Amino acid sequence: MIITSNTTRAAISEILRKGSRFIAPLWSLENFVAVNVYMGMADMPFDKAMDFLYKSAKTEGTLPVSFYLNALQKGQFTPEDISQALKESSFDRDLDKFLMTLYEDTTPDDNLRISTFADVANEINGKKWSRFMVDRISFWAAAYFDEKQATWDTARQGNSLYQAWKREASVDFGTEVMGLRGFRKYVASLPDDYLDAAKVALNHLELSEDMLDYYLNALLMKLNGWAGFAARIDWDAGLHGQKSHQLPEFLTILLVWESALKQLLRHKELTPSWEFAKHETLQMLSTGNIARSLAKRLVLQQAFDNAQQRKIIALINEQGPVKLTKKAPQFQAVFCIDVRSEAYRRNLETVNRDLATVGFAGFFAFPIKYVQLGHEDGSNQCPVLLTTSHTVKEQLPNETNPGSALKRRFLQSHLSKAIKAFKQGAISCFGFVSPLGIYFLPKLVSDAFGWTRPAPAPGQVGLHPKEIAQLDVSLEQHTHTEVTGIPLKDRIDMAASALKAMSLTGNFGRVVLITGHGSSSANNPHASGLDCGACGGHSGEANAKVAAAVLNDAAVREALKQQGIDIPFNTLFLPALHDTTTDEVKIFTSSYKKHPAWDQKSINELKYALKMASEMTRAERAGRMGVKEGDINQKIMDRSKDWSQVRPEWGLAGCSSFIVAPRERTAQLNLEGKAFMHNYDWQKDKGFGVLELIMTAPMVVSSWINLQYYASTVDNKVFGAGNKTLHNVVGGLGVQEGFAGDLRVGLPIQSVHDGSKYQHEPTRLNVIIEAPVDEMSIILSKHESVRHLLNNRWIYLFAIDQQGKVTYQYDKDLQWKVI
Amino acid sequence: MQNSVLTFVPLLAPLSMLLYTAWVLSGKGIRKQRFMISGQLPAFFGFVMALIGLISIVKYATATSPLLGIDGLGFSIRMDMLSMIMLTMIAILGLVILRFSENYLDGDPRQHIFFGRLATTIASVELLVLSGNLFQIMVFWIITSVCLHYLLVFYRHRPQAIAAARKKFIVARAGDISLFAAFTIIYLQFGTGELAVIFEFIQNSGNVAINGAFTWATGLLVIAAVLKSAQFPTHGWLIEVVETPTPVSALLHAGLLNAGPFLMVRMSYLLFESVTASMILMVIGGLTALFASVVYLTQPSIKVSLGYSSIAHMGFSLMLCGLGVYSAAILHIVGHSFYKAHSFLSSGSVIDLVKAKRILQSKRKGNPLLILLSIVVALGIFYLSASLWGLDLAENFSLFIISVIIIMGLAQLMTQTIDAKWNLLAVGQTAVIAAVAALSFLCFEHFAQLLLQAEIPAVYNPHINIAILASVLLAAYGFVVLIQLVSPWLRETTVGYSLGVHLRNGFYANVLFDRMIGSLKHDKFKWANLTVKEEQELPSVGPTEEEKEVEMMVNN
Repeated sequence: MIITSNTTRAAISEILRKGSRFIAPLWSLENFVAVNVYMGMADMPFDKAMDFLYKSAKTEGTLPVSFYLNALQKGQFTPEDISQALKESSFDRDLDKFLMTLYEDTTPDDNLRISTFADVANEINGKKWSRFMVDRISFWAAAYFDEKQATWDTARQGNSLYQAWKREASVDFGTEVMGLRGFRKYVASLPDDYLDAAKVALNHLELSEDMLDYYLNALLMKLNGWAGFAARIDWDAGLHGQKSHQLPEFLTILLVWESALKQLLRHKELTPSWEFAKHETLQMLSTGNIARSLAKRLVLQQAFDNAQQRKIIALINEQGPVKLTKKAPQFQAVFCIDVRSEAYRRNLETVNRDLATVGFAGFFAFPIKYVQLGHEDGSNQCPVLLTTSHTVKEQLPNETNPGSALKRRFLQSHLSKAIKAFKQGAISCFGFVSPLGIYFLPKLVSDAFGWTRPAPAPGQVGLHPKEIAQLDVSLEQHTHTEVTGIPLKDRIDMAASALKAMSLTGNFGRVVLITGHGSSSANNPHASGLDCGACGGHSGEANAKVAAAVLNDAAVREALKQQGIDIPFNTLFLPALHDTTTDEVKIFTSSYKKHPAWDQKSINELKYALKMASEMTRAERAGRMGVKEGDINQKIMDRSKDWSQVRPEWGLAGCSSFIVAPRERTAQLNLEGKAFMHNYDWQKDKGFGVLELIMTAPMVVSSWINLQYYASTVDNKVFGAGNKTLHNVVGGLGVQEGFAGDLRVGLPIQSVHDGSKYQHEPTRLNVIIEAPVDEMSIILSKHESVRHLLNNRWIYLFAIDQQGKVTYQYDKDLQWKVI
Repeated sequence: MQNSVLTFVPLLAPLSMLLYTAWVLSGKGIRKQRFMISGQLPAFFGFVMALIGLISIVKYATATSPLLGIDGLGFSIRMDMLSMIMLTMIAILGLVILRFSENYLDGDPRQHIFFGRLATTIASVELLVLSGNLFQIMVFWIITSVCLHYLLVFYRHRPQAIAAARKKFIVARAGDISLFAAFTIIYLQFGTGELAVIFEFIQNSGNVAINGAFTWATGLLVIAAVLKSAQFPTHGWLIEVVETPTPVSALLHAGLLNAGPFLMVRMSYLLFESVTASMILMVIGGLTALFASVVYLTQPSIKVSLGYSSIAHMGFSLMLCGLGVYSAAILHIVGHSFYKAHSFLSSGSVIDLVKAKRILQSKRKGNPLLILLSIVVALGIFYLSASLWGLDLAENFSLFIISVIIIMGLAQLMTQTIDAKWNLLAVGQTAVIAAVAALSFLCFEHFAQLLLQAEIPAVYNPHINIAILASVLLAAYGFVVLIQLVSPWLRETTVGYSLGVHLRNGFYANVLFDRMIGSLKHDKFKWANLTVKEEQELPSVGPTEEEKEVEMMVNN
């Protein structure tokens, strides 16, 4: 009984902060970047964290036993892998005995989970009050956070999140109509300040300190979607050094609900049940053991991971001799480290032997805020761990008459707004549908057959195809409402650090493609989740254009020369875009046709290679997409325009390793589109600054992606977005499954499962770096958060030695072991 | 005779759907390759049959097939402009929705069941509109609702879907009882269930003796329609149908929901005679239209807001029926069907629209003079269009009422441009859109009347009570539109804030209904077997079909 009326506000604030630290931020669908939902738990060992979630939020840490048994049967892993995993577990090392336990029914401690007061109320007379609580809060939160859906904003009132909720809850009859009499009065009687209100609620619930973490997490995980959305607002504020406490306020709302249920539900068994539930919880927590059924599955997952590691290590170590080339190729193409680049890069290099590809984070180290033509505001085109450095505007070259294009864009946008008001306004909607509804017939049919897109591609509204092809970026500095453009000095610095980080400081080819990536799908709320995560959930086109423009800048090249990076005058950087859905690569040539280094013949050769590589990659991916016979190219194109397609591409499903090495180490391998690949030559890396950057940024981001897929696969109900066919876009920012319930986080089931099997099988990321282990240890000793990821087995780290073999595995506490 | 043979052509549309159902359900666990050709073929065939029916009905007169039954009760096909328009519409929707579902539900282990239920539902709606007698209408009225029920509980583990099904169950049974009672009375009054005979009788007799029983019958018909089309306060289940895959919502909102207005138009000769019933319809429909179209504005999720929109449009169509302009009601539901089917199926595109909204947009000024000017311009455009079309609005009160509502819409449209930063080009283009809307309305309404003239009573000036009621409703509509146009001063006030909260909750009608059916209890429901089931695991276990094939090949 720790919270009394004497508890200070600071103490309450700390309790709320601690209790909400496990909620991962959730980004809006406009830029749906991958998030490691376990990020708040990195300082706990993986197994412990899964147990914590299992007990507090009833989430699953692995797939069901049947998945592993099936995989075992298919030979995806072996009994030896299990034996290996057993050695590190609390189980008896006898393999047969362990396998027998897999078939046993649940053990008593499996059902022991934390109960919140609402959970207890559920059991009393079968009325699911906890579901009702979730639905009510979610319905309010949807209106409160709504950005673009409702025309009439009915919720955004009051000075803070909690106060807005309080005001509404004191007016809204809904809860009382359902039978919780006195709810409005109870809420109205609470203090206006969230800390004071939380104190009242905590005091009323009489929680002991030992279970507080579990309890508060249990409560928040009931609404981990909206909680995550609140957490994202706090995250953004934190990046800019501002204070924000949306999440603790949100937690207060849940606490008030619990308290209200305790106060208002009249049932004589409730209080004793609640006391008993708390007692049971404390007893369960006192043992500190991992729930048995989970522990068993964690052993299987470990064994599954072991097998994956064995395979990837064998693949690298058993390949033929690797030649490190010293000669400049004719072409170079920089791609994102994204796993979808792997297949394309391999095919492209096969098509043209005089072409080398480079893997690098898809924003090309140009963290820009990008303002599209005619837009009010820009979007952050960089990993969400970073803040943007410069604002760059999209522009049309002067010969296209940009003024009239802009006017057209504004007009079109205005007309859609006016029509929308006509179509959706109260009463006026009748005046719209009666005469104009019938015109939707041709639209309905043409969308159904894929001849048109249900809504115009947002970036192209009001522009002619010719203009779209000529869109470019403006690096020139302007000070209109805000400073835009990149000054020369910054261009030079950015160019130098980008090239060094790419390990591309010499041996430049004739043409260097800077290939960003994006996706194309229709009618897909999660479309931005298929775009470039390193560009903050946007297409990497803008970053590629900026990078190329900077690297082609004569003044920049001149300055780079003084830093020892000599880009030949006939080298031309060209921006390009890899469409990961269709595997088309488009080069944006319009701005460079008059560049002195322009060479039509090379370009033609390059374009031909790209076309061939696209076809080969499509053929390779077709099987996985269930496209079998007929014109595969056409069918894959069609999928990207099909408004009913719930699996336009597989995204990063399958991602399981991250290889940081010179391209030659992987050039002969088929990694099946499952590996992130970052070019890195440690011998060029003086002081190992680049290594440090890789281990603290791309490595962390890949682990985010990998763990997002992991979580969405093992527990799609809690950490995934559920069934796409039920998705209902809320507030223009997220999806809800059906009519009610929480905002959904993570990936839809259709993004990890193809209907008969998982396309993403849960595997923790294997990071394989070619660099001296001592240097890696030094970097790890500097970065606690990265060390946590490794020590606690959220990811694995391996090192490639001088002979090009994977020889060391990071064990624990900066110790390495020989494999 | 030639005509009655022709009546079998449209029958082929539902039959092909039923055949498809049988075929799909006979094969277990089939995946998309087999659907690919199969699903759309019968649907397309059905569409062609419907189209042939539609074209031939322009040439030939209304026809009814021989009756399979006794005493005007049984199974017969009525082929007239109304049934053919509805059939063609449903066939098109069926084709689009079946096509959509192929990829959309691909990988769902019960996709074939979904297809079976979808196709059966389409067939039953088609058979409903083709009905030539009361018995058949009754039967398919019930079957459509049963089919919808099975689509609604496609995911049996979803508590909210079960809650919706429970509510729908109660509403639908109440509607069935009303319709049954109404039909019984009509049958007893006319001594036959044959629609052709009943309609002919009414048309020839000039005016039917309006006795008490007749008023009851029409009143019960109205109640049946109101319940079928989810009017306030029984609308809760409809907005919750989003608990089942999107194609179902598209089919329901664009197809099944129309059964209410369809029934009113089908029975228009009877309804027309009863001022009381017409007035009930106008009050319920008119108020629901107002209520739901305002609630729409407050909803934070796309599909639920579309649900409210459908409720509003159904209300509006029913109000038009009450007003006696059945042709306008049909025009409205046909337009609404295509519009709403598209809205649901494309509801995932809303994020594209959100992104596009980042383009700099001029804000509304809220200048009362400019708003007034917009209203004048809207009036002018409509007036000019009407003159061009050669229509004198003063001649016909009902048409005048609808015209005013159209003008309200045009005013909303014009205000967006005129009451903003002045831009002549934008004003011009907006005016063109307004003119297209006005002319389209006049033109389509004219043709709807022309086409349907045999099936519906001619539009003439309504009974004085109806006229007064219509004027009151119109005033209320005008008031709401005006509030919408002038600045949002209302929502800033305490009253406005509370009103907003209550509206977003749909005046709590749905929560109340939820409580009545015990939605919080997953296992108990006394009226039907509707409990929440355990969720099944995904089929991740065991070899896939493909792997089995490979295995067999290896073994052989």
